[in-house]
Amino acid sequence: MVRLKNRYLVVNYLYPNGNGQQTGKDSLPGALTFHQPTPDEFHQGKLLRAIQENVQELFGEYGMGMVSTSLKINYHSTATSTSIIRCPQAHFEIVWAALTFMTKLPKPIDVPVVVKAVRVSGTIRKAEEEVIRRAKELIRRARVGEAGPGDAEILKDVARQVAKSKDAEPMDVDESGDESESD
Amino acid sequence: MFYDLNVPWTENVRELQRTVAFLDELGYDVVALTHTISGKPPSDLTPPIPTTLPFPVPPKLRLLRRVTLHLTDTSTNHLIPQLQQHYDLIAARPTSERTLQQACANLDVDLISLDLTQRPEKHFKFSMLGTAIARGVKIELCYSQAILSTDPSAKRMMISNIVQLIRVTRGRGILFSSEARSALGLRAPSDVINLSSVWGLGHERGKDGVTKEPRGVVEFARLKRESYRGVVDVVYGGEKPESKKQETQGKGKNAQNKRKAEGSEEAAGKKEGKTSNRQMKKNKKAKTGGA
Repeated sequence: MVRLKNRYLVVNYLYPNGNGQQTGKDSLPGALTFHQPTPDEFHQGKLLRAIQENVQELFGEYGMGMVSTSLKINYHSTATSTSIIRCPQAHFEIVWAALTFMTKLPKPIDVPVVVKAVRVSGTIRKAEEEVIRRAKELIRRARVGEAGPGDAEILKDVARQVAKSKDAEPMDVDESGDESESD
Repeated sequence: MFYDLNVPWTENVRELQRTVAFLDELGYDVVALTHTISGKPPSDLTPPIPTTLPFPVPPKLRLLRRVTLHLTDTSTNHLIPQLQQHYDLIAARPTSERTLQQACANLDVDLISLDLTQRPEKHFKFSMLGTAIARGVKIELCYSQAILSTDPSAKRMMISNIVQLIRVTRGRGILFSSEARSALGLRAPSDVINLSSVWGLGHERGKDGVTKEPRGVVEFARLKRESYRGVVDVVYGGEKPESKKQETQGKGKNAQNKRKAEGSEEAAGKKEGKTSNRQMKKNKKAKTGGA
């Protein structure tokens, strides 16, 4: 039995110029300045389309064909500006490069963004663990810098979203119960 | 340790502060702020970059000062020894085939930075770039223009130039830096490594391009300035005893001046070299005797 192999990219959205919603960004502690929540209009569908457009622009039809077989957004949280993107193992570099070349959120939002891949993982479990670890780390840093309000909500949101995604899709703990596309 | 050796310095303090903070956020450890000299050199060569920046710098980040000299003809070459005293790094940006040849062959610079948005006059040749790499002068590729430009043909030019350079240098002696005019053009080291592997350099070499190679450049440049002939360097001289303090200090000063003078003129006279050798030995004796 041959399994379809994937890579999971954990990406963060960083906003070097603020996310266009808050004006008083100087009051935030240093650790949080760039880690602002993503506008809610930037949902999963938009992200997927943005990736596809970028792949198309950089690699053309060839790239699209290579990638589109298993391109999927597994997890997307606007509150923590984090996503997990699934892509085929052999061509994850294409998706990664497309993300690197992204400079703005898609059209109506149009906020300058830097997409940073923070982890490349072979299983979704490790990717999720990384997301949780990152969120905790960020909150710790924010506390050290300045105890602002809203930390607890972010943490709760992370926990809720992760729980949701765990329910929705069986994880890669044992290799047998993985994706249904194995052949 | 990740390096970004090309961050243009601007008068705009807020923008620069944001860029520096963002570099720290992305995980860079050493950053060189670049001042560019193009056209007619100014009479005052002291860098406009202050040693202490007017805003709090992240504690982990090490900042260097670098100058990029646009080489239009050979008239500005005499500036290099003078510039060496003011800056931590010196980069040359050749604008023509001839200046590139010269920069590769015998200019005393630390880096060669190429303008990748334009089509090169001729194809790059290994014999030329190979001599530079053999001398320890690395080739710098700046990625931010490729990312930020909205013009697809500029992007194409950039990528084709980078791929050519990688092919010509056989992947050796290449380092990546941003040359980002705003924080938006910066990318995390891992993203740069991935880009390099997409461009055909491979992960390992790509990683060297943001860690090992720039470290080599920085350390080599430091040794050139501070050590004796780039070979012997006193890392920590030890405490000096009270009684001999006055005498040794005076000598040390003298020797330092000598060393600087020597560094600027590679081919110092034989006689001068001899005396300075003796001076060094004396100095060393005094130091070791003292410690």
